[in-house]
Amino acid sequence: MSLSSALETLANYRANNTRASLDTFKKGAQVLKANAVSKLGDDSWDFLEQLMLAAIDIGRIDIADACLKQLSDKFPGSQRVEILQGIRIEATGSSEIQLQYYVQLLKADPTNAAAWKRMISVLRRNGELAEAVEELTLYLDTFYSDLEGWLELADIYSSCNRYTLALQSLSHALLLSPQNPFTVLQFAETAYTAGDLPLALKMFLLVIDMDDESAAKEPPQGYNIRAWYGIKLCTRRLIQSPSLGASSSSKTPVPKSLNAIEELATEQVLVAFRNKRDAGTKLNRDVTTRWMAAF
Amino acid sequence: MNSPVTVCNQAYLKIFFHAAKHPHRSVNGVLIGKLIDNTVVIEDAIPLLHHWTSLSPMMEIGLDLAGQYAESVKLQIVGYYQACERLHDTALAPVGERVAEKIRATFDKAIAFVINGETFGTGQPALIPYIPVGSSSWGPHPESGSAFSASSLFQLASPDIPSRALKLVQTDHIHQAFGDFDDHLEDVTIDWLRNAACLPVDV
Repeated sequence: MSLSSALETLANYRANNTRASLDTFKKGAQVLKANAVSKLGDDSWDFLEQLMLAAIDIGRIDIADACLKQLSDKFPGSQRVEILQGIRIEATGSSEIQLQYYVQLLKADPTNAAAWKRMISVLRRNGELAEAVEELTLYLDTFYSDLEGWLELADIYSSCNRYTLALQSLSHALLLSPQNPFTVLQFAETAYTAGDLPLALKMFLLVIDMDDESAAKEPPQGYNIRAWYGIKLCTRRLIQSPSLGASSSSKTPVPKSLNAIEELATEQVLVAFRNKRDAGTKLNRDVTTRWMAAF
Repeated sequence: MNSPVTVCNQAYLKIFFHAAKHPHRSVNGVLIGKLIDNTVVIEDAIPLLHHWTSLSPMMEIGLDLAGQYAESVKLQIVGYYQACERLHDTALAPVGERVAEKIRATFDKAIAFVINGETFGTGQPALIPYIPVGSSSWGPHPESGSAFSASSLFQLASPDIPSRALKLVQTDHIHQAFGDFDDHLEDVTIDWLRNAACLPVDV
């Protein structure tokens, strides 16, 4: 592969935040070997950061250190480089040393959001969930608009079966990014897991509603298929055990037209398989059709 | 739980590909097979999720569909596998435990595997067997340290399959074409039940 196409791929990865560590490393090492870093101009520093993180991912600490050295020589005292230094320590240092490093950065600057988040991730990785939640809650008091932070908090709560608290965190995430269908999907699936089926159904329907252009366009695609499966599951269970509808802790009403919604969901999911003639799709369609019909 | 367990090649490869495709996330799936002379033979694996593994709706649907598929090929769901987001994290709890319990309700010799991040990239067997301990919690099998050794209850159908899996990932990047139920939910042409395109012809 030519150097220029390697550089182009790497620039694309940077632009899209793609974490293809092995490929990044291979192409990056090629650039290093060709002594082409300085030719990148201002992009060279972004490149070194990218290569350093990829090298850590795949365990080539030697290359990571070489990148880090160049970066810290160029930007002494930079907060961004300090965080990279922290990530380097996380790769091999003991958990105590990792925590100490971030505590010290935060002492110097209590508003260092990146250091705070790294520290929280170290706590979580060490299984100190109570401390992680406490720090993350404090962090979000200060940096309320950090969507990623709210999603992380929801994920921690879900992972230890605290679904009601997870829903609260996701409500904040929804306020911050009301147009993101993935957050709505995550909310719907968390509500279902928490046992609030009417709320889950409402949110799955909202996913379909958010995207009215594609709703008109048959067949459904992407996350809409997932939402239709969710709608099917919720309506089926609500029809089978109507008492589930009364136990909505959010007091969400159950739609009157449950049966019609259920039929529509079946139709939409099966329509997604239409006009696909290969053997794999046929098998999947048959299995799905049986599941849809099994009432 | 003292029944021997055999892991067939395509099951091992699929678990390996699934974990290799999403090295920074938790992934999970189910194992399908049958009981032959008191040995649990794990013939195949069906990959379920990688987006978020602690929420249940898509898991429920995926389990139903995988169970139906297993029946259609005269097998049943006999176990569960997962890989954790964090390298040294090999715990099954709490979500994996719930799913494994659910499987045990229909197959009493149910088995669970957690992927071992330490041996994953070495060509050594990278599965840690878990079994029920007590009423509803699961723990590593007493011989999990020596699982898949010559005298172990746990055997691979071909001992060289871990190194072969590693090679298929490292040199052929075969795992990139691998799809799970999460993928299928966004593109129904992805054949998550079989993943036939990812298997070498002789497996």
